[in-house]
This record gives sequence, C-alpha cells and structure tokens, in this order.
Amino acid sequence: MSDGAPVLAGLAEDELDTFVSIAIRRAEILEDLRSPQAGDAWSEVMIYEARLAEITRPGEIPGSVARVGAVTAALAAGRRSEASRLAALYLAEASLPEEGREAIQRAFQEDQERLSHRFPALSKSGRLAELADWRARASDLHVFPRAAA
Amino acid sequence: MRLPLQDLWSMHPKLLGHPTDLPRLGALALQRAGHASPVQAGVNHGGRASTAEVEWLAQDLALLETHDGNRVTEDGAEAVALAYANVWAGWVVKRRLQRSLRADWLLQNEEGWLALEVSGTAEGDPVARLKEKRQQVALCPLSAQRLALVIAFDRPSILADSP
Repeated sequence: MSDGAPVLAGLAEDELDTFVSIAIRRAEILEDLRSPQAGDAWSEVMIYEARLAEITRPGEIPGSVARVGAVTAALAAGRRSEASRLAALYLAEASLPEEGREAIQRAFQEDQERLSHRFPALSKSGRLAELADWRARASDLHVFPRAAA
Repeated sequence: MRLPLQDLWSMHPKLLGHPTDLPRLGALALQRAGHASPVQAGVNHGGRASTAEVEWLAQDLALLETHDGNRVTEDGAEAVALAYANVWAGWVVKRRLQRSLRADWLLQNEEGWLALEVSGTAEGDPVARLKEKRQQVALCPLSAQRLALVIAFDRPSILADSP
C-alpha cells in the first residue's frame, strides 16, 4: 500500500471516489495556474487512485480507471520511479483489459513528450533522464529542514 | 424535459462535499447571459431536436466578481450537463476522470458506464465546440459509452453527440 495508507484503509470505494474527484479537480486547477503546489496535489491524487486500485478489480471499468489514474497522477507529480513501480504492478495483472494496458503505456509516452516540450535543450542532448534523477534527489531535500524534521 | 439545477445533489449524491458549488455556478452562468429561471433551452442530441426547461435558484450576480469568468462557464456547463445526463437516461456520477482519459466524468446507470466530456460557451459557435469535444471523447480508452455535451449559455441550448 502507498503512503497515506493507514488513513485510507478504512475508506469505502464511494468515499474514495468523492475524494479522488475533489483531488483531481484541485490538481488540474493548480496545474493550469502553474502553481508549484500542483506536484503535491497530483501526489494526493496518486494516493487515492492507488488505494482505489487496491480495492477494485482490474477487469472492471472503475478498476481500470484507478490503475491508469495512479500511474498518470504519479507522472504528473514528477514521481517517475513510483509511476514505473505502479505500472509494473498493474501490467502484471492478467485481467487488466488491453485498453488499460495501452493507456498506461501511452501515459509514459505522453510524459516524455511533455518533458521534451518543456525542456527542449535537455531533450535535444538526450539528457532528460538527468531530470528524473535530480527530481528524485530533490524530493528528499527541504528548504526548511527543521520544519521537515 | 425539466432540469432543476437545485436538485443536482439528489441526482448525483457523490457531488455532495465537492468544494465547487455546481448548481450555483450553473445559475450564475445562465443569469450572466441574461436568463431568468425557468428558461426554455433548445436541445439537439445526435441530430434530434427537443426542448428542456432549466430551473435554478436565483443567485446574486455580485458573486460573479469573485469568480473567474471561464470557470463560471465551464463549471456552469457541468451543472447543466450532469442534470441533463441524469434526466435523459438516469446516469449518475461515479467519479471525476483525469484529463489523460479524455473525458471529465465517469457515470453509471442500470445498463453500464458513460464517459462524459463537458464544455460550455458564453458566446460563439457551440457546434464547432461540440465537434471538438466529440473527437476528444472518441479517444477515451474505456469500454464505456461516450458522450460529448456542450452548453451554450447565450441561446441557451444543449448540444449532445456521441462519437
């Protein structure tokens, strides 16, 4: 189970549907505003989607939506290693329909296209992977380390 | 067909608790366009023409000063569209979808699932917008019915079509 698990464990699918709907809305608005908080908002979406994926069947539409959603939210949050981990988990489920598999794979392609568009110089020189490494390292850093302790 | 926006939460219980007050924004979008409740809206669903009576609780237009104009149009359109989907075929909101799935909402009724893409226009050509949204929802990868709905607030009218 992902981070946030103890709080979410007691929630029913209906409650999670409401929470994820609100979180998606918030994340999209923050993203449109280019807010630096958009990443955190997408991380919250990822947590709800991943929990929904745990309690729904991969072969049913809500289960497929949650699995695709967890991966795309992780990518939108810049958490690419988590996105890869979740994708591997979901793609290993035999009953995940083909359209769900394709949507998960397309999410990675679209993420690469988005990054290439945003960082054309890094893309041209084949250095987009460095960005992912930097993000992974920076996610452990805090501007105010005492507050984070 | 009667579309009471004030009853949106009883049509779609999962909208309760949402921070966006969709019925209020639907009302504001209609009032901003000069309409008063109830208003007759033209409906064109897949080429079939009809009318709908849209009702809402009157809002203070001063509220528009505290809202982004585009958000009033888009959120107001969601209010009217979700009311229409419910009254038309009993569709009930399951959850919101991420943009990567090329639709705004996943709805459910006794027959199955619907991926719904919604947009609104304050003025201008809603037919062109419907075409764009129909193409978008056609790319939704889910094994669900798909519907694009555009609410043109100036006329007012409701345009719906499936890919």
